[in-house]
Amino acid sequence: MIQVKYFGMIAEATSKEGEEINAGEKPFSEILSEISSKYNLGDLSYQVAVNKKLVSDFSKLQLEEGDEVAFLPPFSGG
Amino acid sequence: MDRYLRQITLPQVGNIGQEKLLKSKVLVIGAGGLGCAVLPYLVAAGIGEIGIVDGDRIEESNLHRQVLYASDKVGNSKAKESASILLQNNPHIQIRVFEEYLTQKNAVEIISGYDLIIDATDNFFVRYTINDTCVALDKPFIYGSIYQFQGQVSVFNYKGGPTYRDIFPEKDQKVPNCEEAGVMGTTVGLIGMIQANEAIKIILEIGEVLSGKLLLYDSLRNEQQVFEFSKVEAPQKTEIEPDFEFFSAEEVPEKQMMLLDVREIGEEPEIKLDNFIQIPLSRLEKDLKKLDPKQSILVFCQSGMRARKAAKLLFEKGFQNLSLMSGGAKDLEYLQNHEEDLS
Repeated sequence: MIQVKYFGMIAEATSKEGEEINAGEKPFSEILSEISSKYNLGDLSYQVAVNKKLVSDFSKLQLEEGDEVAFLPPFSGG
Repeated sequence: MDRYLRQITLPQVGNIGQEKLLKSKVLVIGAGGLGCAVLPYLVAAGIGEIGIVDGDRIEESNLHRQVLYASDKVGNSKAKESASILLQNNPHIQIRVFEEYLTQKNAVEIISGYDLIIDATDNFFVRYTINDTCVALDKPFIYGSIYQFQGQVSVFNYKGGPTYRDIFPEKDQKVPNCEEAGVMGTTVGLIGMIQANEAIKIILEIGEVLSGKLLLYDSLRNEQQVFEFSKVEAPQKTEIEPDFEFFSAEEVPEKQMMLLDVREIGEEPEIKLDNFIQIPLSRLEKDLKKLDPKQSILVFCQSGMRARKAAKLLFEKGFQNLSLMSGGAKDLEYLQNHEEDLS
C-alpha cells in the first residue's frame, strides 16, 4: 500500500485529503494516470512529490511499500 | 537607541546583525493580505529601505485580512496608506511607494533597486514576471501564497538555487485567487509571517533558508510539511509570449482604445463605458468579426488571466495594437463610479 495526499484544489477535486492505494507492481506513471482519470484532474496543474521530494522524471520511478505520494498544486491567493 | 535592544540581545543578531538589517533594501510586491503581515514586522525590525508596490485600492472586502487598513480608508491607495501607517511605527527607516502594479514593463526598473524581493501578490502572471526578473537580475525572492486554509512558502533564486519555474514551469494554469476561493485572515497572516521571518534570516545570514524547499502549511491541522526540489536540468522557459503593454484603469480615459471585456455575460461588476464591447473568451474566436484589427484594443477580465489568453489569441489572429489592463473589472467599476471626478 502507498499513502497518497492531496492538497489545495486537488483535495477539492478528489473530495478527500488523502487515501491508501494498493499500487502492486504497477509503474508509477500508471498509478498517476489512474488517479488523474479517476478524479478528472486533467485540467488542473500540480506537481508530484514522493517521500517529500518533488519528482521530475517519472519514468525511472518505482514505488515501494509505504511510500508517500503528494499532489501539490500551485496556490495563488494572497 | 533602545528601539532594537531586545533583538540585538539575541546572540544571532547583535550590533552587527542590526547593522545588516539597517543596510538592507527589501521590496514587498503586494500590500494585500500577505503584505499586511510581512510589512509591519520588517518595518519594526529596522530594515533600512523598504519598497511597497501595489496599484490597488482598499476595498471593504479586504479589511478582514488586510489589517493595516482602517474602515475609513476604503478607496485609498494601498501602497500609500500602508506606508503612512508603517512610518508611524518606525520613522527611522525609508519607505518608497510604488503606486502601480508590477508589470513586465516596469519590473526591471523597480526590482533592480532592492536586494531581496518578497512576492506578496495574489496574481499568477505577476509571479512569473517576478521570477524571471529576479533570475535576470540575480536577486533572491521569497514566495508566499494561499489556498483557503493552506499556504505555501519558498525562497527562490537564492544563491543560484532553484526558481519557481523549477516547480511550476508553465503559467497557463487555472488557479483561483482569494476572491474566488475565499480566505481567512489568520491563514494569510501566518504565511506572511513566515515570509517575513525568512527575509530576516536571509539578511542576518542565520538559520536554514527555505531554498530548494517548498513549505506547505495547513492551518486547520496545524501541520507543516517541507518538500524538497532541485533545479530542473532542461533549459528554463522564460517569457516567450508577446510583451503586451499594461494600462491602469485611471489611464483609460486618456487613451483612445476599445475596451474589450472577455468575461462571461452576467459577471459582476457590470461595466458600462463608452468604447466598450463584451465578448466572452469562450466566444472570442467565433466573434472576431466584431473587432477591427487596426483598432487599439485594451483587454480586461476579472483577474487578468482570461484577458491575457484573449490578447494572445487576438495577437495570433493578426491584431497588432493590443494592451492589457493591470487591474481588472473592479478598477473599471471604480472609474465608472468616479467618472465625473476624472473628466
